[in-house]
Amino acid sequence: MRMDRGYLALVLNAHLPFVRRPDYPRFLEERWLFEALSETYLPLLRVLRNLEADGVPFRLTLVLSPTLTAMLADEVLRERYVAWLDRQIELAEKEKERTAGDPQFEPLAALYADLYTSDRDDFTILYGRDVLSGFDYFYKKGRLEIMTSAATHAFLPLYRDVPEAVAAQVETAMISHRRHFGKVASGFWLPQLGWYPGMEEVLKAYSVRYTLVATRGALLGKPVPKYGSYTPVSCPNGLSVFVRDARATDAVWSEYTGYPADPVYRDFYRDIGFDLPLDYVSPWLEDGTRSFTGFKYWAVTGRTEEKNPYDPAAASAKAVEHARKFLDGRGDQIRKAAAYMDRPPLVVCPYDAELLGHGWFEGPQWLESLFRLAKDRPGLRFVSLGEYLKLHPENPASMPEFSSWGSGGFAGVWLDGSNDWIYRHSYKMLDRMMELAERFPNETGLKERVLNQASRETLLVMCSDWALLIRAGKAGAFARRQVEDAVSNFQRIYEMLCANTVGTEWITRLEKRNNLFPGINYRMFRRKRS
Amino acid sequence: MNLEKLSALSDDALLTLADKLGLMVPADLERSFLIEALLEALEEDSEEREGALDSSERIEETKYSGSGTDFLETSLDPGWCSDNRYNDTMIRLLVRDTSWAFAFWDVNDEERAQLRAGETGTAFQGYFLRVMEENGRESSRSADHFDIPVGESDLQWYINLPRPDSRYRIDLCCRIGGKARVLARSNVVQTPRGSLAEDSSFMDGKTVELLALSGFGELDINPAEDRHPSRILSGAEVEE
Repeated sequence: MRMDRGYLALVLNAHLPFVRRPDYPRFLEERWLFEALSETYLPLLRVLRNLEADGVPFRLTLVLSPTLTAMLADEVLRERYVAWLDRQIELAEKEKERTAGDPQFEPLAALYADLYTSDRDDFTILYGRDVLSGFDYFYKKGRLEIMTSAATHAFLPLYRDVPEAVAAQVETAMISHRRHFGKVASGFWLPQLGWYPGMEEVLKAYSVRYTLVATRGALLGKPVPKYGSYTPVSCPNGLSVFVRDARATDAVWSEYTGYPADPVYRDFYRDIGFDLPLDYVSPWLEDGTRSFTGFKYWAVTGRTEEKNPYDPAAASAKAVEHARKFLDGRGDQIRKAAAYMDRPPLVVCPYDAELLGHGWFEGPQWLESLFRLAKDRPGLRFVSLGEYLKLHPENPASMPEFSSWGSGGFAGVWLDGSNDWIYRHSYKMLDRMMELAERFPNETGLKERVLNQASRETLLVMCSDWALLIRAGKAGAFARRQVEDAVSNFQRIYEMLCANTVGTEWITRLEKRNNLFPGINYRMFRRKRS
Repeated sequence: MNLEKLSALSDDALLTLADKLGLMVPADLERSFLIEALLEALEEDSEEREGALDSSERIEETKYSGSGTDFLETSLDPGWCSDNRYNDTMIRLLVRDTSWAFAFWDVNDEERAQLRAGETGTAFQGYFLRVMEENGRESSRSADHFDIPVGESDLQWYINLPRPDSRYRIDLCCRIGGKARVLARSNVVQTPRGSLAEDSSFMDGKTVELLALSGFGELDINPAEDRHPSRILSGAEVEE
């Protein structure tokens, strides 16, 4: 029996905001899902299958956000993804012809042909268009632990004064998880790791056993956590709170020194959608505007416009090297921390899932290498978060402080001069939604449908991704329109209910478009009475 | 692409955009020079926005790949939501970090008109925000407060709060005939702690070392105020 010297917990947060526009024949932002499926979710499942086939032990915690889950389960989007893959395969064939005979670029065109063909085969044949079943397979086997997250990825600290709003985000998420995976989620990922004291009460009320916070939030906790970030802490009500490891974060996330910035890796930004003549690529651009196609032939190289051609073999070797370096670094941390602890230290490494594959093309290879290399490292054990709690149910008492993983460590990313106008509307919607839930507690039929749709729009306006995108500028106009749509849909519903007239056709159309959370119950917005 | 979009705009729209970007341009500037200046300003703006993002935000942004010309679109059509009001008298306070909070408020049009018209023998002297530190007892008012005058058209403000780990509330007030009148009262907010909750000099030495190994030194967290900061900062260093 081996002695565990320390634990590593990898947590991947898979999330995209809800974008679904069946009223358009093709919709640019639906590509976010298709790209993530092609470069992250399906490759990730391939990694897990490879590891299983080779008997390599692995444990991974995966967050599947409710909006992403809703999109992955949606028939319209599944259909559109297959059509999108067909177009990608068509472009790959065209690229193979264009680059024929070129020793550098022809193999790269073939690489994309293989990628999209594998994706199509996996998606349509292996999973019967149901990618969630692929994750569920490993979930049921105990290799993968799936956490849920707030219904629409709301940054919860900014709604802490409206407990009904926070509870609605948690309740909807828990119901969504049970609906898709048939069991209660033990872990709850706080969007943007946005925590505030008091969050533990809401989570515990829905039987959540654990969550995660940013390092800052934990270290500012009261009392100061005895083991720093090397064990979870236990809130007074028993909720376990894991702590993001700062150094493991930097190793991957740091823009200039993180692994994805290595010169040999594939460059994300250089894409034939910008490089090749417009009339050649325009059939693959959603509205004829230059954009990403997914076909990228250049390496990061450095902070220069003069990029080197991408060399997949060199990049693969680098991914293995970085996996080794990552394990060395964490092993070193564990060794040093263990000197001050009476139990094996835990290093929690949470990342955006879409970084692996989509942002960092070689990320899935890195992940696979981590598990393969760890097999030969005695004393270093990968655990899922729930598994750790089974091994170490008792943890130091502490209440983490308000914090997030955003720049500055608090709420600055989601509340600044560019996006602060959102909150006047979201708070008004919440106020009115609670008013409606009080006024109409026992509605059935059409009126209940209308009230449920009002709840969906209320949840949608709280989505933190829109605030982030508005701040960043990229896709800011789209994000702003998403907020405006939700506000305007809600206002129309509110006015209809006040006038006691319901536009059946309009509400049916809206239900068909924003169809997430089919089992939603507007009564969750009834005022909490203390 | 920006060049194509800008070229399609009317002269008035170009001048409006120049105004939004803070460009001082003579009204008779030739169209091609104006477009060139706008392109340059848009590029600078984009670089500034990029620079304001941290690594994780930039990585997260890659999930949302698009044309990247959205700022132009946003500037030309800021949307209807950003100026929209609900015509009720209210104020709400949101905490941003250890020392800043965001307040947004409104005053009902009728009430606003009545205030402006004034009562007999009294004159309306404007609105102000009264920022109060709460001492923890409900509905009690601390003597510790300060006022921020705001304009009639102001509807929001970022407020620098004096202390981390403290509770604050704001009253939306107006002054009439020299007397303050409360129009709306905000929710109470708590600023987060910006330093360790305990005195590190009384901590177990092992915990101090583990805090350092957790990256405490790089997180820009103050050790507890006036309490041997060097004790934490000189803890074990970790090399990758």
